[in-house]
Amino acid sequence: MTRMTDIACVFRIQLASMRRELGPFLLAALIFPSGMYLFANAVAGAEVRLEQNRLRFLAGSIIFSLSLTSLSWLGYLLLENRFTGRLKLFATLPIAPSSYLLGVLVFAIAQAMLGTVTLLLVGRALGVHMQPNFVLLALVIALTILCLCGLGAIVAASARSFSQGSLLTDTLGAGLVLLAPVYYAPEMLPRAARVFAQLLPTNFAARAVLTTLAGGHEIGSDLLALLLTAVITLGFGFKLMKWRED
Amino acid sequence: MATALTMTSEVSLGARREQIKTARPHEVGEDTTSLAVKVSGLIKRYADGTEANRNIDLEVRRGEVVSILGPNGAGKTTFLRQVTTELRPTAGSISIFDVDAIKEPGRAKHSMGVTPQEAGVFERLTVREHLEFFARFKRLPKKAAREAAHKVIADLNLEAETDRRVGALSGGQRRRILIGLALLGRPPLLVLDEPTTGLDPSSRRAVWRVIRRAVSDGASVILSTHYMEEAERLSDRIGIIAQGRLIAFGTLEELLGRVGRSYRLSYRDPFDPLSEPCVRYCVSFAEAQAHVLREMLSEYSIARASLEDVYFTLTGEVFEKDEKEEAA
Repeated sequence: MTRMTDIACVFRIQLASMRRELGPFLLAALIFPSGMYLFANAVAGAEVRLEQNRLRFLAGSIIFSLSLTSLSWLGYLLLENRFTGRLKLFATLPIAPSSYLLGVLVFAIAQAMLGTVTLLLVGRALGVHMQPNFVLLALVIALTILCLCGLGAIVAASARSFSQGSLLTDTLGAGLVLLAPVYYAPEMLPRAARVFAQLLPTNFAARAVLTTLAGGHEIGSDLLALLLTAVITLGFGFKLMKWRED
Repeated sequence: MATALTMTSEVSLGARREQIKTARPHEVGEDTTSLAVKVSGLIKRYADGTEANRNIDLEVRRGEVVSILGPNGAGKTTFLRQVTTELRPTAGSISIFDVDAIKEPGRAKHSMGVTPQEAGVFERLTVREHLEFFARFKRLPKKAAREAAHKVIADLNLEAETDRRVGALSGGQRRRILIGLALLGRPPLLVLDEPTTGLDPSSRRAVWRVIRRAVSDGASVILSTHYMEEAERLSDRIGIIAQGRLIAFGTLEELLGRVGRSYRLSYRDPFDPLSEPCVRYCVSFAEAQAHVLREMLSEYSIARASLEDVYFTLTGEVFEKDEKEEAA
């Protein structure tokens, strides 16, 4: 029970802070990814008429939104807490590091769900035809968030300075979307890059989101890959995040 | 002729502390001990070989205020961070109300309220939100958390700032919030690392009042400070750390006794009124008076040697000794 209270309190602290930063949140979760959707449509030219491409661009924008809000923003938040001494406030309290990280994760998931639902509404308003399975979609989004937050936690816990960490979270936030076949088909990548790009979590996430939006269910392998990545990244993140210094 | 005779005698909280024979019950530990903190043989050696704490033994009794003094970089914060379980000691033991703080940091933290030296605050929260959330972390139910936050806000003179964002407050006000976080839930032990650094005199006195109130409620306090007056006014016992070692520990009287010459005679040269003031330490008041008569001083003061005199004498001794050792 106390653990739940701790997690809820961490969540509420993040929420109260975010309420006062709604502008940047909308920019990262909605406006920028929507812009990327329009950009991808414009670059695609005549091929945008293909429904599959429009769905891919929407799926890509959802992943982009998740990456910006969870990896870049939450990574930044964790870095800020660490390097401005806020983490000391938690470290001197009788709460477990995992409660702190779980509170942040729950907040990230809530934030991602909000962003995703809004982007789906934007997609519908722009005439994208989709038949999403919401349960599967929620599962994919949650696992994607866990992967990306795990990466953010690793960067935040291991960075040597605030500037180094924030550069890394920003680069990863955008890079993982642009390097992986999120907005384009894997076949468009050079053969050497294809293997690497297909191993990125954003690749599994984009493929799963695209399949789910199209009404498909064949995402077992992608879910498994996301789950494994989440376990590994979060495991490292938890391990690196120490309340106690040596 | 302007003659001043000053006798300073700071009465600490000692007398009142005597009344605190039993502390209030607390959920952690059996509290059968009379010690709030017991540190034995504490050594902290960093990976680069720096020895920040060298074999420190120190005890804080229940209901007692212990101040730690020392130059910058002496190892005060390192010491306190080990007590608060933030930093793992290289060797030695720390127990907080009989709980081994090294083996069971989580349990030990239940009895502590901590103000770290350089902690940040959540700038986008209001003062009220900040305190209420952190009161919940200290296991207070919602209503009690609200009441505790309200009380701390009043105690620290932050009423006018209650609904202001923390980011809009001055450094001193933020510092008071950090002190308030430590006080939430009335922990039986307060560990305060330079709690009043950066505070104006009035805020500093407000913090002293709050600390005194906590102590009269049964709390024990260990704090580090650079302010001699603070240590003199608040403490039952004072420790001085220099170069990682606890070079002195005792009541103010005991520390003054270590200096030997416990009276300070400050005067100006009677034949040169514009000269710089001179200071002479004497073993007794009579010796100081004799010097006044012998030198026909007209402008002087005689005061008990203060903690500051003790501090400089003792830390000076250490540096001198070390220099001699190096030379040898």
